[in-house]
Amino acid sequence: MEYIVETKHLTKSFGKEKAVSNLEMKIPKGEIYGFLGPNGAGKTTTIRMLLGLMRPTSGSVQLFGKDMKNNRIEILKNVGSLVENPSYYPHLTAKENLEASRKILNVPKKRIDEVLQQVRLHGVANKKVKGYSLGMKQRLGIAAAMLHQPELLILDEPTNGLDPSGIIEMRQLIQSLPKEYGMTVLISSHLLSEIDQMATRVGVVSKGKMIFQDSIETMRKFAQASIQVKVNDNEAAWRSLLANGQKADLGEESVTLQAEDDEQVAASIRYLVQQGFSIYRVQEEKRSLENIFLEMTKEEQAG
Amino acid sequence: MILSLVKADFLKIKRKGMWLLCLIGPFGVVALQMVNYGVRKDYLFDQMDDRWLYYILNINTFTPLAIVLGIVILTSFMASIEDETNAWKQLVALPVSKRAVYLSKFTVVSCIVFLSSVLLFLFMLGYGLTLGLGADIPYLRIIEYSFLPFFAALPVLGLQLWVASVSKNQAIPVTLGAVGVILAYSAPLLPDWVIWKWPALSNDWDHSYINALLGIGFGLVLYVLGMIDFKRRDVK
Repeated sequence: MEYIVETKHLTKSFGKEKAVSNLEMKIPKGEIYGFLGPNGAGKTTTIRMLLGLMRPTSGSVQLFGKDMKNNRIEILKNVGSLVENPSYYPHLTAKENLEASRKILNVPKKRIDEVLQQVRLHGVANKKVKGYSLGMKQRLGIAAAMLHQPELLILDEPTNGLDPSGIIEMRQLIQSLPKEYGMTVLISSHLLSEIDQMATRVGVVSKGKMIFQDSIETMRKFAQASIQVKVNDNEAAWRSLLANGQKADLGEESVTLQAEDDEQVAASIRYLVQQGFSIYRVQEEKRSLENIFLEMTKEEQAG
Repeated sequence: MILSLVKADFLKIKRKGMWLLCLIGPFGVVALQMVNYGVRKDYLFDQMDDRWLYYILNINTFTPLAIVLGIVILTSFMASIEDETNAWKQLVALPVSKRAVYLSKFTVVSCIVFLSSVLLFLFMLGYGLTLGLGADIPYLRIIEYSFLPFFAALPVLGLQLWVASVSKNQAIPVTLGAVGVILAYSAPLLPDWVIWKWPALSNDWDHSYINALLGIGFGLVLYVLGMIDFKRRDVK
């Protein structure tokens, strides 16, 4: 498979602390890669290394199959980025801000109007950025990142500060990029719901380590339903189920069946009835991706 | 690449008042002599036979001060434009080398200070002509005292730009700059090796071009050191 981004044993330490350790990130072409992790997990540090803003303590970064160390400028010609808070020159207008980047990127002037249109800032293009709202500044940052139609777009928390309609617009824009321009997108976020709606691949990072990396479908498979049974005496029911060789967990107010199919559920319930338990409720509970994410990061913290 | 970076940097200093500063510096230096000569012209004419030279030396008591102060403000401004919203990260993530980014900043500040020197030449000559200092106009000397302080101040420029662009807090380069201005003011008391003395164009050999050559040489050294350090650092 052709990887646009590939890191090998990527490590960055600040003093004794390892912000990123042995991270192996692989992003195939044309994917929207959701880079997930709680605050302080090392997402931004990783992104800074992908852009050559920071030097890895050890390990390597390869973009488009080229090594970052020796081909930084050549690689960056095809990368657009928005890292953390948007950077801008407040005393300049949106147009002038983009012009400052355009001069360096050497793209035609009409691209400025095009990207301003795309992020819907064309109406305020000649106003100083000082007076913009956070959401508008964020859009300007995204416009600057797309100025040279990069093959790889790296957006660090791109929906920060956007209002709900802004988030939806941004989502539609990001989703259209791979289809229309063949771009590969890397979006980082600490919100799973956001990634869930956009990404085709997910990488979960916690404490500087990649703890999960696969397609979003694979991640959703973890979200299997479980059956909860409420009976008059939960503990006794749980014990008798275990004694009968059926898998179950004891919760605070219910017993959770680890059943693989409907027949197994039926068998367990039938058994409980035969044993004389009063069954109050049998309910299905779906594990949300949110729960999976929390469990994943929790396990990592416990270990 | 470097040319487009310089163009972008000139765009970024728009509306920041840096061009005004470029004008005020040389004007202020000459304006002080306007006051001086306005109040006690006859007395000053009696001080030395060569009235032009005396006038130029009077101007030169304030040029080093203005130039060092100007460099401190300009370099700190240049860095603060990028510091304000941490635009360094956006700038360095563009396809440019960090060396070129640094060179571009150095070039822009040099250009502004050099333009100030041109203005100083014009103002010095212009006001001198109105004073009636004599028919024999010492053009070479005026050029010497307009442009050599700029070259002699290059080490200060190199040092200030270095400190300003790697400091998170602009109070550090400004403090260093304030000390520099005091040193430039006490130039006659300092030994020749102190870089802040050089713009005054005085030395034990009595050749002002030595200061300019030293300035270019040592300025280049400080520029390279600053650039290496800037390139080595991670962008936050």
